[in-house]
Amino acid sequence: MVLEMTVNGKAIKVEVNPNARLLDVLRENLGLTGAKEGCSGEGECGACTVIMDGKAVNSCLVLALQARGKEIITIEGLESNGELDRLQQAFIDQGAIQCGYCTPGMIMAAKALLMGNPHPSEAEIRLGIAGNLCRCTGYLKIISAIQEVAGTNLRKGGQDDDGV
Amino acid sequence: MGEEGQGLKYVGKNLPIHDGAAKVRGRIKYTGDLALEGMLIAKLLFSPLPHAKILSIDAKAALAIPGVIGVYTHENTPKTHYNSQVWFDGQEAMTLEDERIFTDTVRFVGDKVAAVLAVDERTAQEALGLIKVEYEALPFNVDPEKAFDNVVSIHPVQEPFFTKEFHCGNSDEVFEQAEIIVEDRVETPKVHHAAMEPHVCIAVPDHNGKITILTPCQIMYSVRLTVAKVLGLPFNKVRVIKTPMGGSFGGKQEVILEPLCAYLAQSSEKPVKLELNRKECIISTRTRTKVIGVVKTAVDGRGKILARDFQVIADTGAYTSNGAAIVSAMGKKLFRLYRVDNQRYQGRAVHTNTTVAGACRGYGTPQIMAISELNIDSTARRLGMDPLEFRVKNLVQPQDSDLSGGPSLGDARVIECALEGAKAFEWSEKRAREPLVGRYKRGVGMACSTHGNGYYGAFQDFVTMTLRMLEDGSMILLSGLHELGCGTITSTKQIIAEVMDMDPDRIEMSEGDTETSPYDIGSQASRVMHVCGAAALKIAQSVKGLFRSQAAFIFKCSPEDVVMCDEMTWSIKEPDKRLTYGEIARTVQRQHQLELIITETYRATDNPGSYGANFVEVEVDTLTGLIKVLDVVAAFDVGKAINPDFVKGQIYGGIQMGVGFALTEDIKIDPLTGIVKSDSFANYHIVNAPDMPPMRVILIEKGENDGPYGAKSIGEIATCAIAPAIVSAVNHALGTNLTVLPLTPERILMGLLPQKK
Repeated sequence: MVLEMTVNGKAIKVEVNPNARLLDVLRENLGLTGAKEGCSGEGECGACTVIMDGKAVNSCLVLALQARGKEIITIEGLESNGELDRLQQAFIDQGAIQCGYCTPGMIMAAKALLMGNPHPSEAEIRLGIAGNLCRCTGYLKIISAIQEVAGTNLRKGGQDDDGV
Repeated sequence: MGEEGQGLKYVGKNLPIHDGAAKVRGRIKYTGDLALEGMLIAKLLFSPLPHAKILSIDAKAALAIPGVIGVYTHENTPKTHYNSQVWFDGQEAMTLEDERIFTDTVRFVGDKVAAVLAVDERTAQEALGLIKVEYEALPFNVDPEKAFDNVVSIHPVQEPFFTKEFHCGNSDEVFEQAEIIVEDRVETPKVHHAAMEPHVCIAVPDHNGKITILTPCQIMYSVRLTVAKVLGLPFNKVRVIKTPMGGSFGGKQEVILEPLCAYLAQSSEKPVKLELNRKECIISTRTRTKVIGVVKTAVDGRGKILARDFQVIADTGAYTSNGAAIVSAMGKKLFRLYRVDNQRYQGRAVHTNTTVAGACRGYGTPQIMAISELNIDSTARRLGMDPLEFRVKNLVQPQDSDLSGGPSLGDARVIECALEGAKAFEWSEKRAREPLVGRYKRGVGMACSTHGNGYYGAFQDFVTMTLRMLEDGSMILLSGLHELGCGTITSTKQIIAEVMDMDPDRIEMSEGDTETSPYDIGSQASRVMHVCGAAALKIAQSVKGLFRSQAAFIFKCSPEDVVMCDEMTWSIKEPDKRLTYGEIARTVQRQHQLELIITETYRATDNPGSYGANFVEVEVDTLTGLIKVLDVVAAFDVGKAINPDFVKGQIYGGIQMGVGFALTEDIKIDPLTGIVKSDSFANYHIVNAPDMPPMRVILIEKGENDGPYGAKSIGEIATCAIAPAIVSAVNHALGTNLTVLPLTPERILMGLLPQKK
């Protein structure tokens, strides 16, 4: 079946199986391998998170054809004209990256959060990435990175607080 | 940002991880992201039974599907036995070699039965479902304590298959006379490593019989060793390239998928990818070793420990793996944390029909520390002493020796960790608080830990590196380093940059490739920063010496007069005549036909302890049994933080694993069927962002060891004290002595039962 959607600002037309998942189409048909599969398609780890019409979705739980006519943003589409998105830069600067496998999904979940709520409290940030598992970082620096962009970061350096 | 080192320019600074940009852009290619031309896909069939003889395998229907290249079983694959944890040739003599690519007798639910090789995943998956296997079920056992009965025979060995004893003094005599003896039984669960990247590898054959393996591994030479053995190839026909690591924590330390994948590539003469899904990773790869320990401590009335005794059982699962090594590793740690003149440790390893255990962050230390520390806690309780005071009275001090005969503890600053941590946590104030009345109870607890810094004193621990300066002044380090995401590459760059006085970004470091990297024993045993970092420091000093002697020729001065600063160099006698590093390298090549390159081997010279003390506050809901960790203070003696942000990153992540170990993570196995019940992230819960507590980190950096700038390990010890600290806090809150991990709501409510009566 033919799937037409917008991916990272570009109109896409691909032939897909009716049971293909959005994640498969992104990775296999479009070569966008930034989104990962970490929990085998049950929506528990969030490594496959992309943004669909402004909302974060687990692309392993979205049938590709559900994306018909939708606007998809993947990690590869965040930078513009060779410049990193502020979130991407903040993840680097705050040391929010270790192995990096959860990073694309984590950034996309954070991006969707900030698109809907530009100045989330720390508790809202934690909830916003509740569906994204990370085994390396203990989340603290990830939260700091999101806070840096949200402008709600009151303290840095390992200290934590209850938000604003 | 960060602390100002003593005149240090790069060491001690918070540089970002070297591949951060590639990772935030989604451009870094993990092994699963690679698709090679003509690559075939392999999928595995796993045993549904915990113990059974395979009577027959009918693959006809599977082979009839178009696109299926082959079906592989124990009947048509090498029968070579190996042990997946062996990392040097000769080590197999110290352990049991009981694994094969495929077995004719399955020994746990998740054991490998067959592989389908096909043109794509869908075809392979479809064919898998058509393979008919006839099993003859055998009696099975999933209980490590029952293994001692030897009723179920998993391998032709008596259980326990390995026993190790360490002792000092005469604990029997002391126990006979002691007035106060406190005994506990502590149990720790099998845990899934839960690296976000599932297990995966790709093997590529070439036209000359060489197999190249792309794998996110921790010990490439271990992969080479076992693959060469199974395929019957000389070492130089097996090339292992360490690919970007999407998390390991010991889970990818052993050689699990590579021998099979390499064999499929060899046999099909095509590149082959073998990738597991999450369930397969949980049930069929490796787990943290389940451990049961009975510990007793004799003390005098003033709180001095007189003797300790540990009887420990390690459940290594269905194949031996590191079952023997981990029993030894656990025992050794006990002689390096408290001053105990009379102590005995007896560890025994058994097989069960469960998922194979293996290396897992801390290599037994989180388990043995849970056993030791919970008993330290209950001993303090019996004495009516503050657990902090009791510990400080008995903890080791700098330069203490290891009474079991191991290497010196070095500048062991665990007391400083305990006191500094307690101060930041406001331990005394919180401990003295009145208990809450009502449904929610609060408590505070603490625990200490130690872990090693490499293999010195146990095995060979050395590393060879080649460092060269190119004609533009940039540098390349050739080494067998394995970046696991901890910041190894960046930290090593910082060390070399510090010595050479140049921008770390101007130093390039490839990672492990057995064809081009000098030998390295791998990213294991908490050795990388302490040993490989020291090697980098030493080789940089050697190249610097060569550089200065050559520059001295050019400047016509003595090498001591050569100044190096920010890639500019001059003679102190002629400060106006300055050359770049690149100009020196070029001039040396032209005039002396010499390259600024040195290859050197560094041998580890010490193995001090890293130390930590963690403090935790919890809130327990006595109605639901749910526990919330409210606050964590983690103090660690790391010698020197080469990159403090990386060190803290390790600690935060180690705490995340430790909270799970204490509260939620457990590979639960149904005793009736042998089936893993928690086989997905939907029912195996690792801690997510909302449940992570606030964390404060204190680093004790006093150096005084042979690591680079005094650096000691952090990655493993970071997860070794947090779980017992949490359990201790829960016991404080509830007035219980719970000692079976994890503290699930059921266990909390059961623990409260007698009190409710």
